[in-house]
Parts: sequence; structure tokens; C-alpha cells
Amino acid sequence: MPDTTSVVDTLDERKPYIELKQANKSGELACDNTSIAGAMSQRACVYSGARVALNPVTDAVHLVHGPIGCASYTWDIRGSLSSDKETFRTSFSTDMKELDVVFGGEKKLSKSIDELVELYNPPVIFVYSTCIVGIIGDDLQAICKEATERTGIPVIPVQSEGFKGTKSDGYKAACHALMQLIGTKEPEITSEYRINILGDYNVAGDVWLVKPLFEKMGIQVITSMTGDATADSISKAHGAQLNLVQCSGSMTYLAKWMKKEYGIPFTKVSYFGIEDLSIALRSTAEFFGSEEMMNIAEEIIEQETNRIMPEIQEIRSRLEGKTAAIYMGGAAKALTLIKGFRELGMETVIIGTQTGKRDDYKQISYQVKDGTVIVDDANALELADLLVRQKADLMVAGVKERFLAFKLGVAFCDFNHDRVIEFEGYDGFLNFARELDTTVNSPVWRYVGSKIGDSCTGKNGAEETTDSTAKAGTIKKIDGDNNMQKINPITLQQEPVA
Amino acid sequence: MSERNYTTVNPCIMCQPIGSVMAFKGIEDSMVLLHGSQGCSTYMRLHLAHHFREPVDIGSSSLSEKGAVYGGSENLKKGLKNLILRYNPKVIGVSTTCLAETIGDDISRIISEFREEEGIGAERIIIPVPTPSYEESHNSGYIKAVEAIVKTFTMDESKKAIFNNKLNVVLSENISPEDTRELKHVFDSIVGHNSYILLPDISETFDAPMTGELHKIQPGGTTHADIADMKNSAATIGLGITNDNKAVNYLEQTFDIPSQNLPLPIGLEYTDRVLAALSNISGAEIPDEFQKERGRLIDAMVDSHKYVYGTKVAIYGDPNNVLGMLSLALENGMHPILVVASSKSPRFAEQAMERVKQVKPDCDVTILEDVDFDTFNDAVKKAKPQMLIGNSNGKYIAKEMNIPLIRFGFPIHDRVGAQRILTLGYKGAMRMLDRITNTILEVEDTELAAKWSEPESYVPLGESGFHSAEA
Repeated sequence: MPDTTSVVDTLDERKPYIELKQANKSGELACDNTSIAGAMSQRACVYSGARVALNPVTDAVHLVHGPIGCASYTWDIRGSLSSDKETFRTSFSTDMKELDVVFGGEKKLSKSIDELVELYNPPVIFVYSTCIVGIIGDDLQAICKEATERTGIPVIPVQSEGFKGTKSDGYKAACHALMQLIGTKEPEITSEYRINILGDYNVAGDVWLVKPLFEKMGIQVITSMTGDATADSISKAHGAQLNLVQCSGSMTYLAKWMKKEYGIPFTKVSYFGIEDLSIALRSTAEFFGSEEMMNIAEEIIEQETNRIMPEIQEIRSRLEGKTAAIYMGGAAKALTLIKGFRELGMETVIIGTQTGKRDDYKQISYQVKDGTVIVDDANALELADLLVRQKADLMVAGVKERFLAFKLGVAFCDFNHDRVIEFEGYDGFLNFARELDTTVNSPVWRYVGSKIGDSCTGKNGAEETTDSTAKAGTIKKIDGDNNMQKINPITLQQEPVA
Repeated sequence: MSERNYTTVNPCIMCQPIGSVMAFKGIEDSMVLLHGSQGCSTYMRLHLAHHFREPVDIGSSSLSEKGAVYGGSENLKKGLKNLILRYNPKVIGVSTTCLAETIGDDISRIISEFREEEGIGAERIIIPVPTPSYEESHNSGYIKAVEAIVKTFTMDESKKAIFNNKLNVVLSENISPEDTRELKHVFDSIVGHNSYILLPDISETFDAPMTGELHKIQPGGTTHADIADMKNSAATIGLGITNDNKAVNYLEQTFDIPSQNLPLPIGLEYTDRVLAALSNISGAEIPDEFQKERGRLIDAMVDSHKYVYGTKVAIYGDPNNVLGMLSLALENGMHPILVVASSKSPRFAEQAMERVKQVKPDCDVTILEDVDFDTFNDAVKKAKPQMLIGNSNGKYIAKEMNIPLIRFGFPIHDRVGAQRILTLGYKGAMRMLDRITNTILEVEDTELAAKWSEPESYVPLGESGFHSAEA
């Protein structure tokens, strides 16, 4: 049982999910369970997992079978980019009404599929089931099978009823859908070295900064799943000799299946941060055992690192010593971020994920320093409390956490769907560093918690030039006055002025 | 696209629960718990956070497979208990989702059981609102929640009725926090600061000032005492006329409070109507401040009239907002050729047509309601407007047709300041008109700049220009 007594005030049930990393003390963090009712989890549902993992398939029709809300809130949800078709940005829904719920939505779904085939002639249709479909028992498998036979277009069911587990189960449902396509076409082979990029969603164009590196090494990238993937490229994925898995939470399941089904091995990699990116390139070259490829990889690593280093160093000088909080959907990204921060001179003080597994948290525990808080399925109040207690200067997370951090005067970087700049590859890491510099070192934070007149008396404003002094004057507090379980108001201690 | 009968492509509406959340967020010290699977609450939090740029907490009963099969009572009770432990709200709105409705959970009964089992006293109010997502839209969810709130607070017969001589103001449409602040200013100035009760009030709760403190529940919202006191008021004004304002009807039928439904005060005439009604009901003179403001608005309208006249515009969004914006456009000589309400409302089309007839009977206008964005896009392509006025989701067609989009309504997730957009009152009309006019001038500048670079080919603005547009 992790020691949580001094970590954070929360529901008793939540305590096993929060751990303070301490030397010689290794607790087993509870994880991989459904969220606790009323605990205000930052997680979504099975459908959400399936949707985010599968949605970037660019030329597919993504049809949501359910009432309008599920389609409405996930319209164009990922900032994934496409090099060709934009069909995936369109939100299709059967918009089930009361009568469909009473009499079943099967007919409407069949007709909807026919309609979409006629209008769009897509290479594939993914049909997502929502909560209500699971309850009324529409036979998605049968309808899709019939539709495939009738239309000649693969119509693939995605069993993603929202209540049937967690977001991770949604990833699995997405993988199952991809399995239906893989192996249905033969690839044209242009190189003796072939890989698939798995678990990259081409958010803001990430893949476009990574794929050329492999191609320079003489490797053919058959498909990247699912960022900027087409139905055609996915169907040829079995032609690869190696799968590189980045987002392990969503794609390991598929990689394991491909190993079993096609004998394709996989390695876990990350394209974020100089160190992890170098490891990805080197280990790939090592796998193929080509000396020539290894030389090219080394050349890329050296040249690219030298190219971006001067600016990285300059930014690092402004970030050195700052503390970071990480709250991610998946554990792979959280892990690689710890290293990325270190490369910029920053230390992680809070790290959490929505869908991490036991092994992930073990890995994380090895990576972070004593005194770091590790948390699974954190909720808004815990995160707010932790940001203050752990004195984080910056938080990296998604939109729901953004305004929570802002209200507490904590800098923020979006590493989620909302991001519009690339963070992967060499230029991506430079972008990341610039973004941190922009938010951490912005003068806006010195005004948080200030009152009229403060700037005249030097409590904030122009007189103060360093950030530590700027932050010191700020009162950060989570209001807990009207709490039944009395939680003392939390006040950030005055930092010693350097 | 073309003819579709079974598929909705790019929805214009959201589901009922999110509407109920917006209503509850306008109540003092309140939280909402959605009875359904975890995703519903998370998606709505995300959606609202995008628009208002504030932290948004919404509880979930996190129904899992077990709950879905055996009923969600256990989860709902646990959710309520945990919500109370962590947030300690005085009011909890419990809205259902499609899942809870379909498995047939009787939330009122579960709540009563919960109250009894946990010994929850009368000081904590729990309000159930059935909001299945397969019925109607976010607009109806909003209206239903407002009605449920009023009913719950005024139900207590033991509290003696004491005539308060106040005016109830009940919104039937979500407006921005800035708009709410402006409304309050108008009511403060005309009927007096403590002489009206506005419900719901999101002016503080969805646009909290930065203080360095994070409140578990944002301060602000209509006070509980005020809501309970609504049954003792002298009159009720409902704002929004395209749909039934259920809370207004309830107050009239149950407590005999005379009521009047008025349009949202958008544009000159609708604002006139609301101010005149206020003056009539309260017997107070309209302060000089507003006569001056109105005069300034007319001055602004005169300043702008040559630029905006005849501009073909498509307006879309929530019905009462769209009706108001249609009115504003017409008053300024614009040519609203396409007027689209996201959801179905009993009187939207009729009201919109009436307004067109009053101001510009020869205006060739297409009125649509309850359509998706695909249908809307088709209509836009056919009508070829020169400008769009509506929410962020019109950006795709605006980009495709290379026409400007004036962002207004909900949701606005691709620009900052949605919570600060002012549309209501004379001041709001002025701001809106300035935005419209300056956008037109900006476009003309850009087009002219392109022509200036090639002096030989300079010609006055042709087909694509704003001025030459056929009325």
C-alpha cells in the first residue's frame, strides 16, 4: 500500500492510486480499474478510446451509431493532419431518436451505411457503437457483415460501448477494427528494410518530422497507424519486418497480434526528445543489422542534434531548475516527457496518467526522483492540490487541466489533441522547448493574485525581473472552506528570494 | 452533400445533458452529476472548457457494465456521496444520459433512497432532470433544467408566501457571461438592484476573475433565496420567444404570476421591446443613460449603413440568438438570405418570417431549422452569402467559400474571448455592428490592396464586392 498520508487530501478509496516516490520504499500503485463514481475523473470512456485511436485514418468514414451527443462532442477531435483525404474530419452519426431506441436502430444503421457508400464511396467504414447500442442490443457485427457483402466495401464494427470498461478497452476495440483490414492487400516493396510506425497520430503533423528520418536510412515506411494512415496503407501493414510502437497504451495490443499472426517483432520507441529519438533511430538500424544504415543514423543524429542544440541550450538556461507536472492519457508519453524535461534542465514533481498499467508505473517510478508524486486516474481536485503542494512551475496535459493550472498561476503546455505545433522529431523538440519558454517565462504570472496598487509598491510588475521573485508574491490556494471533510486551505510557501 | 435520410453529418446540436449543465452552472453553490458512463461528463467538460476557458467540473456516476445490467442505483448513490464529500455543494443537479434513461433508472426514487440512507437534510437540495440524449437538443435540456430548478425551490409549501414585488427574469437560452452582466446592468438601472431575480446567472461562474485562488465551486450564480422567492414575485419576464419557457409557464400556472415572453434583446427594436416592457411593468422611467446609449447606437448604425447595406449574410446557431441576430441584420439594411436554427423550436420559423416581413418584406430568405452542418453547408453554397454569423463550426464552409465568419453563439472553440462577447442591449448591438462593419472594411481593404498592386487593372469592386451586392 503506497504511503499517501502526506501526499494529498482525497477520498479514502482514491488513496491507493496516489504514491509519493520515496527511497527504499516501493509501493504498488493501484491502477487499471474503472473510475470511482463522483470522483471527477479526467478520463473519458471506451468509445472515446476507440475514437481517438481510430479517427486519424484519413479516408475512412467514421460512423457513430448512437444519439447525437457522442458524435457532437468528438467532431474533428484530434489535431491529426492528413496528406490527402480529409474524410475523417467529418462527423457521421445515425442520430438515434426515441423510436430507434424503442424499436432498435439496426434498420437505420443499414440504410445510413448504404447512404454513405453512395455519397462518399469510402474505402472503409468504421461503425462505432455507443452506450445505448450495447443496451438495446443492436447486432452491430451482423449489420456490418451484411453491409460489407451488399456494398463490397469493408464495413467494420468497433465495439466501443462507453460503459464496457475504460479508455484502454476502447484502444483494444480500435485495434480489433484495424486487424480486420491488415493483410487484405499486398504491398509494393521498394526496400529490403520495411517498418510500420504504430501509435503515432500525426497530431499537428508529428509523423512528417519522423518518417523522413527513417526514409533517409533507406527504410520503407509501409504505414503509420493511425496518424495520416489510409485504408490502403493499413491493409498492407503485414509487409513490414518491424513494428515501432510509440503510444504503447493504444497499440501494443495490435503489435502483439501482428507478431503472432505475421511473425513481425516490435520495439517500443519514442520520437520525443533528443535522447529517445536517437535511441529510436539507432535501435532500428541495429535491428536490421546494416552497417550502412547505422552510419546514416549516426550522421542524422549528429547533424540534427548540432543543428538544434544552440537554441535548445539558450532556452535551457531560462528553464533550468523549474519543476514540471505531467498528466497524460497514456503512460508512454508520460515516460518520455520525464526525459524531455531533463534535457531542458527541468525536474518532474508530479506524474500521472489516465490509462497506465502496473508495469508503466514501475517504469515511471524508476525514472523519477524521490519526492515525486505518481498518480493514476487523477481528478481535478487532486491535480489542483498537487500542483500547489509540489510547487509545480509548469503543467503538461490536455484542455481540461489547462484552466485548472492557469487559475493557480501555473504555466501550461498542451501535449494533447489541441496542439497545433509538432513536438516530435528534432524540430518538434525545438518547438516544445520554445513553447515551454513562452509559457514558463511569460511575465503574466507575476500578476496572478495581485491587487490594484501592487505594481506601484513593487509587489509585482516591472521592478521584479526574475521569475522566482515574481512567483513568490503569489498566493495559490484551493478553496476548501465549505468542505465536509475539512481540508485546510493550501498556501504556497514563500520561496526564498535568490 | 446531397439527399440524405438516415445519416446526420456534422451535427449542429448537442445533447440535452449539456444544456442542463449550463443551467445548473448559473445557480449558486451547485454541482452537476451526470448519471451515465464516464465519457459523457468528460466530453461535456471538455466542450465547455474549450468555449468558456474556465475549469469545468461535472460529476459522473461512472456507470460500468455491471451498473448497466443491474441498474445504476449503487453507482448514482456512491457518486452523490463522493461529490458531497469532495465538493460539498448545496445544490446538486442530477441529469440523466441516454444510458441511464434506457436502462430505466428511476433517479427520483434513487435520490430519495439516498437521502434517507445517508441522512441528508433539507439543506442539501438534489434536483433530478431527465435529459435523454435521444430527445431534442441542448436547448431543451437547458429549458428543462431551469424549470426543474424553479419547481424544486418553490415547492416548499411551509414557507409562507410574502409578496416581494419583484420581477422574475427567466432565460430560455444560453447567453455569454458578458451578455449576462449587461442584462443585469440594464435591470439594475431600470427596475432596481434588488427588485428582480435573474435565472440562471453565469456571469461569474463561467467567467471568474483571476485571483490566484481556485474555488472548488465558482462563486456566483442566482442565489437560492432568490430562486425560492420567485413564487412571490409580481411578474415574470421570459427571455426567448422561439420555444416554450417552461419555468415561466409553471410560475404563472402555479402561483398566478403574470408573465410576458420577450425576445432576447439583440439589436435596436428587440432591446426597445425589453426596455419598454421593463418600464411598463415597473412603472419606472427609462434612465437617460439608455436613451443616450440608444442614440449612440443609431449614430453607429448611420455610420455603418453604407458599408453593410445589402450585404448577404447567413446566420445560424441556437434559435433565440439567431432570431435576435436576424433582427439586428435586418435593421441595418443587411440581407439575411439564410437563417438557420440548430434545433427545432415551435415558433422559430414563424417569428423569423414575421420579423423579415416587418422590416424587409422583399427579402428573399431561406429559413431552416433542425438541420446538420452538411445541410447548412449545401444551403450556404446555394445562397452564396458574403458573410457568416454563427459559432465556430461554420469555419469549414467559411474557409471553403473564402468568406468571413463573425463568431457568435456556442460553441466558439477556435478563438479566445467567447465568454466576453457582448451582443445584448444597445451596447451589444453597437459592438456587433462594429465587428460586422469592420470585417467588411477589412475584406475590402485586402481586395483593394491586391488591385492597387496592379494599377492598370484597377476596377471598382465587382460581383465579389460588398457594395455591389443586390438587395
